[in-house]
Amino acid sequence: MRKMKTFWLVLLAVVVAAIFLLPLVWMLSTSFKNDFEALAGQMNFIPSKPTAENYIKGLTGELMNVPITRWIANSVSVGMIGTGIVMLIDSMAAYALARLTDLPFRKTLLSLFIASLMIPGVLTFLPMYMEFNALGLINTYAALILPYSAGAFGVFLLYQFFASFPKEIEEAARMDGANKWQIYARILLPSAVSIMVTLGIFTFMGIYNDFVWPLYATTSPEMRTITAGIAMMAQGSYTQAYGKLMAMTTIATLPVMLIFIFGQRSFVRAITQSGVK
Amino acid sequence: MLKSSWQSRLSSSLFVLPYLICFSAFLLFPILYGIYISLHNFELLSTDQQYVGFAHYVKIFTPGTYLNSLFFRGLWATIQFVVYSVPLLIVVGLALALLVHYLPRKIQGLFRTFYFLPYAISASVMTAIWLMMFDTNAGFINSLLMKLKITGIPWLTGQPWSWIALVITTLWWTIGFNMIIFINALNEVPEDHYEAASIDGAGAWKKFAHITLPSIRPIILFIMITSTIASFNIFAQPFLLTRGGPGDSTKVLLMNVLDQAFIRKEVGSASAMAIVMALLIMIVSVVQYRLTYARKE
Repeated sequence: MRKMKTFWLVLLAVVVAAIFLLPLVWMLSTSFKNDFEALAGQMNFIPSKPTAENYIKGLTGELMNVPITRWIANSVSVGMIGTGIVMLIDSMAAYALARLTDLPFRKTLLSLFIASLMIPGVLTFLPMYMEFNALGLINTYAALILPYSAGAFGVFLLYQFFASFPKEIEEAARMDGANKWQIYARILLPSAVSIMVTLGIFTFMGIYNDFVWPLYATTSPEMRTITAGIAMMAQGSYTQAYGKLMAMTTIATLPVMLIFIFGQRSFVRAITQSGVK
Repeated sequence: MLKSSWQSRLSSSLFVLPYLICFSAFLLFPILYGIYISLHNFELLSTDQQYVGFAHYVKIFTPGTYLNSLFFRGLWATIQFVVYSVPLLIVVGLALALLVHYLPRKIQGLFRTFYFLPYAISASVMTAIWLMMFDTNAGFINSLLMKLKITGIPWLTGQPWSWIALVITTLWWTIGFNMIIFINALNEVPEDHYEAASIDGAGAWKKFAHITLPSIRPIILFIMITSTIASFNIFAQPFLLTRGGPGDSTKVLLMNVLDQAFIRKEVGSASAMAIVMALLIMIVSVVQYRLTYARKE
């Protein structure tokens, strides 16, 4: 009786999993089809004449004037630099807010940062564009990186962690003559490695996957990020060139998919720890 | 106790300073600048600005003006999406969580990953995939339906199909997030409550209705709030999949705001629309938070 129930449950789970994975498998399959076959309206997962042409054209820059490797490089470097900045400045701020009781306006700043989590992106999007435009920074890496540094999510996540860190260890270090910077760098940061990794994965994926801001903040093909580039392709002359489009989306998806699968535990933790209690 | 000399306060401040600068430059300043822009006739890529006070706001709320119809037609499309998507985002998320929760422990992680996987991909990649899946002539979905003798459903160019397509893609893409939170909540329902109910002879449905649901009610409300906010911010799916069509039926508010700014180049009135939209979102979330809080008391 119980075994039977489990069997049906697993069967249901498999069917649902197939539905969830089907679009991704179909993406991979279509990326190896030529234009004719990709538009034939068939349901064959194995291409009748498999071809790597879509990938080659994308990688050599034949599709969008720029090799797609450039877009990937843009996305990965913008994501890594942005993530680095966020991890550094958020951890410093969280340390001060959680541990340095003589910080002026500590409570006010903390409430201000937490309240900012409620601000919808639509409120800052246009003025941010106008700000970067006025500074002459549209279509630069600065425009692709800096806006992500203002988010308070990391400050909030790390604040919770640092606030629960045992006082005794910190006191002992101070007795030994350690200053604030040494306590931050040698005691608190090393203890926060796993939560920092969580923040890193979360931030990198957020920057890498954003496409609306980079779509408007860049104007030349070589400055596009991969996600903005794909949005341009899908809106422009490649709307129905599914083979080519899917080769590009497959390339775009690989880095985040790998990070996501290997960092999933961390990712889940960030979601469940950030306020749901 | 820490001695609180001015040197110490200064060195403490230095730790917050880098983030505070970024926060001020890329969050606080844009908000204030946005309010300033919204009070002017402000053109994209032009230095001409003329103070107009609250004129843009007045127009948004004056029936018959262009801004009024732009704003409220967009808002209507957005609200439709919220109404269609939020109940499903809650129910399907909970259903998937229950499914994973009752699987044998060894394979829970695997299936959780399967259902959560689409969440990892970018909105633009996600829409490109579904552009292909929903293609009227060559798409996978219509090829599949052809086998059932259903032909040529205009998923992205006809109604009600376009709303259905937008909801399906949104579910596929984001439901993993809600599922994760529900799984977490289900794991925290005390096991002995179920055992006590079993002794009393309660069936699976009774246990779900009388133990599970009441225990996870705060989480359901939390999901309702976050899903409503997320659906209010809908942009990528109609922007890339239906392009606001058929007609203007799926042209959501955020699309109208960006069109006003980047196509008609009127950033002043676009900013006013953005601010009213942001206020609406914040009011809705505060009201929902209040409701959650009131029920907890």
